[in-house]
Amino acid sequence: MNQLIKQHPASFRDPSGFIYEKDGTIYRFVSTSYESHFHLLESSGLSADLIKRNLLLPYSRLQENHTGRPDWHITLQPQRIPFLSFAWEWSFSQLKDAAGATLAICRAALAKGMILKDATPANIQFVKGKPMLIDTLSFETYLEGEAWIAYRQFCECFLNPLLLAKYCGLEAHKLMLCYPDGIPASVAAPLLPFKTKLKPSIYLHVHLHAKMAGKTTASASRGTKKVSRKNIEQILQNLEECINGLTLTPTTTSWNNYYGETILSNDYFHSKKELVSALLAEIDYSSVIDLGANEGEFSLLCKKEALVIATDFDSACIDSFYKRLKKEKQSHILPLVIDLTYPSPAMGWDNAERIAFFKRQSFDVCIALALIHHLAISKNISFDQLAAFFASLCKKLIIEFVPKEDPKVQGMLQWRADIFGQYTGEAFEAALNNYFQLERKEPINGSSRTLYFYRKQ
Amino acid sequence: MMQLLYLDPGSGSYLIQVIIAAVLGVIFYFKTGWNWIKSFFSKPKPETEDDKHESTD
Repeated sequence: MNQLIKQHPASFRDPSGFIYEKDGTIYRFVSTSYESHFHLLESSGLSADLIKRNLLLPYSRLQENHTGRPDWHITLQPQRIPFLSFAWEWSFSQLKDAAGATLAICRAALAKGMILKDATPANIQFVKGKPMLIDTLSFETYLEGEAWIAYRQFCECFLNPLLLAKYCGLEAHKLMLCYPDGIPASVAAPLLPFKTKLKPSIYLHVHLHAKMAGKTTASASRGTKKVSRKNIEQILQNLEECINGLTLTPTTTSWNNYYGETILSNDYFHSKKELVSALLAEIDYSSVIDLGANEGEFSLLCKKEALVIATDFDSACIDSFYKRLKKEKQSHILPLVIDLTYPSPAMGWDNAERIAFFKRQSFDVCIALALIHHLAISKNISFDQLAAFFASLCKKLIIEFVPKEDPKVQGMLQWRADIFGQYTGEAFEAALNNYFQLERKEPINGSSRTLYFYRKQ
Repeated sequence: MMQLLYLDPGSGSYLIQVIIAAVLGVIFYFKTGWNWIKSFFSKPKPETEDDKHESTD
């Protein structure tokens, strides 16, 4: 292979082709073994239809073989994805929409004589607020009588995690980190409550599926029993109905009503909003990361031309923010469930398939509001560690300091020894001054809190 | 046609699709029959409670 090109470490499973980078541009190599499938994908109008419906990442075709490989058929240049995210970072509704998109794509493919040969959230990315299939080589020619090869993968990657979140609580979503290739039915079924056995779709797709897993009887072998096109359409429709019917019961967590709580006055909220708005209006930026974004009130203050990543460890907050963004058609913000103290690690083969969260990119601006006390006091992270972390993440920092006398901090210290003698405004400033230049310092009305604006030295 | 089967579908998962297909086929058969009987006896009207129940599982 050509020395100048670098095959993407996550693109090795499918022999039909692979993703590589050359001079900072991402390309897709399509092998001659995929030629007939690719021809059908384009000649049937399927790719054009899916791109038009925002279900498939747009790409352009290049007649240039960068790789020097003899099995080259065509080179594709996919549209650049603004920010990579993975299923374990998505909220319930994001995974549900990704599942819906996968099923819609498969149904559209079947109508054009093709089918999805894989169905994993690893092939879906949120682009302009919409879940899109990024793997152009996921389609294969449908052969009459063949079952849907990606059925099990779909259940394990989409249906089972959604059912676990719905019936066992949002925290169950974290199991996806343990099972990045999908939660097997044998793991999901015993965790689901008995009542799910009484629901025909869930019984069939999960409970019965778990019983059948690994069965290798002669009758189970490929080809002996036929599954018609109509059967697959019915299975896809049934999965769609089953997933559409899954909704979360509204719950109030400690966080999803943070700014509605009486402890924090209206005056405080509005004053903070004005200060942050004014700062954002003054500075130049094209990318923002909002850490501890809660329900996104402050992410929404960023200009629409910028890429905004809004993170919070509370899945319910991110879910409600995602639904709000979808409703208001604000596509520049990507909300993600990230626990700052345990951010998504590098995963997969050789730790290289899925990049760690904070290694993906640095940002022009970092917004860290009502956050520092949680990290410093609940998680015992020192100001020096925090300052070094912010310096590695961003060029400009909008950060709120919550002093010890603040009722929230007092509440946190109510049941534990105050070992935080160093938790003072002076120590906070001293730590940040090692990396940043203080540009602005403003008291926030209605509270004893302070808003700082720093620029990296 | 050469299929590029790099994914293991799992033999149990293949069999379960045959079973699910059969179950859904039966449900579809009865639904169609039931809708035919209903349309035979009733005048066209907006969605009834029965329809709503049938559409959920």
